[in-house]
Amino acid sequence: MVVNKPAIIIYVQKPDEDLLREVCAGIEEEGVLFQVQTHEGDLDALAYDAANESMLGAGIGMTGVRLAMQMQRLPRGKNVFELNAPAFWQCRNLGANSARAIKKMPFKSIYQTETIN
Amino acid sequence: MKLIAGVDIGNSTTEVCIGAVGENGYFRFLSSASRMTTGTKGTLPNVLGIKAALEEAMDRIHQPLSALDLVRLNEAAPVIGDTAMETITETIITESSMIGHNPSTPAGAGEAVGELLFLENIWKGKPGVPYIVAAASKFSYEEVAARLNQHIPELDVRGLILQADEAVLVENRLSKKMPIVDEVRHISRVPEGKLAAIEVALPGTSIRMLSNPYGIATLLGLNAEETKSVTPIAKSLVGKRSAVVIRTPHGNIRENILPAGEIVFHGEKEANVNIDAGADKIMETLASAGEIRDIDGERDTNVGNMLRRIKTSMADVAKEHEGDSEIRITDILAVDTLAPVEIAGSLAGETCMEKAVGIAAMVKTQHLPMQKIAERLEQELHVKAVVAGVEAVMASLGAMTTPGTKLPLAILDMGGGSTDAAVLQPDGSVKTTHQAGAGELVSMLIQTELGLHSRTTAEQIKKYPMGKVESLFHMRLENGSMQFFEESIDPRYYGHVVLLAPGEMLKVEEDIPMEKILEVRRDAKRKVFVRNALRALEIVAPDHDLRKIPNVVLVGGSAEDFEIPEMLMEVLADYRIVCGRGNIRGVEGPRNAVATGLLLSYLG
Repeated sequence: MVVNKPAIIIYVQKPDEDLLREVCAGIEEEGVLFQVQTHEGDLDALAYDAANESMLGAGIGMTGVRLAMQMQRLPRGKNVFELNAPAFWQCRNLGANSARAIKKMPFKSIYQTETIN
Repeated sequence: MKLIAGVDIGNSTTEVCIGAVGENGYFRFLSSASRMTTGTKGTLPNVLGIKAALEEAMDRIHQPLSALDLVRLNEAAPVIGDTAMETITETIITESSMIGHNPSTPAGAGEAVGELLFLENIWKGKPGVPYIVAAASKFSYEEVAARLNQHIPELDVRGLILQADEAVLVENRLSKKMPIVDEVRHISRVPEGKLAAIEVALPGTSIRMLSNPYGIATLLGLNAEETKSVTPIAKSLVGKRSAVVIRTPHGNIRENILPAGEIVFHGEKEANVNIDAGADKIMETLASAGEIRDIDGERDTNVGNMLRRIKTSMADVAKEHEGDSEIRITDILAVDTLAPVEIAGSLAGETCMEKAVGIAAMVKTQHLPMQKIAERLEQELHVKAVVAGVEAVMASLGAMTTPGTKLPLAILDMGGGSTDAAVLQPDGSVKTTHQAGAGELVSMLIQTELGLHSRTTAEQIKKYPMGKVESLFHMRLENGSMQFFEESIDPRYYGHVVLLAPGEMLKVEEDIPMEKILEVRRDAKRKVFVRNALRALEIVAPDHDLRKIPNVVLVGGSAEDFEIPEMLMEVLADYRIVCGRGNIRGVEGPRNAVATGLLLSYLG
């Protein structure tokens, strides 16, 4: 029997390793576990499946330099956040937000530059 | 049949009401509307708002403005309210010597003491000396961890201060456990080489050592004199999750008591009171001075400047009325409050709750130039406009249309700028009073106590109940109940406190717990309205005995509030007074009392 750890699932297809590392750092800083696995499907499917597979209820999909964050029970394709070829800080905050979704904390800003110091 | 309009210009809103009068005295209310008052009450710019409100009301009955036969303006009470706030203490740090804030994710726990050392200079460190390392955000978490791990075998590194939000990331890669404070914005201001104490609280608790003067003394080895001087630091660190205190021998931290000054009441008796004494004492002194002619502040002090500012901003009204250049403040309402003020010289944007006094003042002019407004209105609309009726009498007449009332009837008109009370006796005599302090003072208190950036947010907090978005499908309302949604909530609202305005949700940008907002909101309303209601009713009550008033009708904008009427009802119930929100003509709610009274008085 496969037992899932309480972790955020990240389903990837040929991910950009640098961006992925930032996403993971964002989750780690918030103190939440994560798992990275390869998975089949388009970006929406990756994020949707990841969120539903995660027992914490949050998941991230990534193909190349495109990223999407999803939460359980949201319909497929209705991603909470989507990024295309983002900057490092955006990835960091996307990761942090997937963790904050679980912690029920307000999201960090992803699209504006004002929050980075 | 004639169409008649009643117009009431208030401090914040202008209300109109339209009625039709037949030949045989037959009378019917047709429509009403309200708009923001344009300009200061009683000045010519008001005409703009009046026209807009009239247009809206006439539009509802599909008539052009020109169909009006008569416009009746109220003889507005010649009082205008204004508010001001001034802090009376301030904390100044002349040399950066502390960090105390709530980063969302510090790492490690416990306290440590050591000499401050920047990461780039770590090679200069000497073995055997305890260090606290500070790293700027130009170093990535991996670099910070790698460099430290490399030096940890020979150097005694006790703690870490980071500029970036990476405490947990660094901790997970370090070979030694230590407290780590992150998100320190101005890390370059950290004085290298000085002795520092660092503390990170266990999850769910706040710091214990650095928020205690003796704790600081223990860690940094201070003598009694020095311990006394760090007390303001300890005070400002209470409740923080992480903190750093740096020992700077010549650093100077002090809590200044600003020269707040005295308020001078020129009344039946001259009386003065220091603003430091607090709101209760100020109000007591005010009451003891009897009827007030003017109120002044000591020159070149905070309160002096504050009262002068209020007078200056009122000067434009006086100018419109020749021969009355002197502005006199005839009433104030003082309220104690706390304001979070950013500490001068802070490293991470720390704030300190400073004592402050909020004051609403009321300016009495001899007479407002209402006649001029009426003339201008007549020119622009080509409709006859007259000034008719005193505001308080009109409001009482309007309030009488509330079902279930009888004479003698007291009204409490709670507007934006002032709280007015009147008692209408069965013989038609009316006794009135105007008190400073109403809705705008409440907004100001909410804004300062919560440290909000915009007054608009404060006003929205005052007006609407709130909830916290706990998931994308539900929110917890302020009364504890849950509301569920079929469609998912916009993720921008997630985890935030939102205000439930009709038809939309407004996000509170600041990260303040809902409980705190609730407490501040209720407290502000109570401080202003309960005190003012009792003060005003006592003046107008027969023999100044509240028990001789059988019923009180609440009217005005603030009576529409979702909790103020209940608060007053609770307090006034002790005096066996029937008190409740008015319902003008059985349909209008607490609004439109004066405008309605103006129409009724036309009928005689």
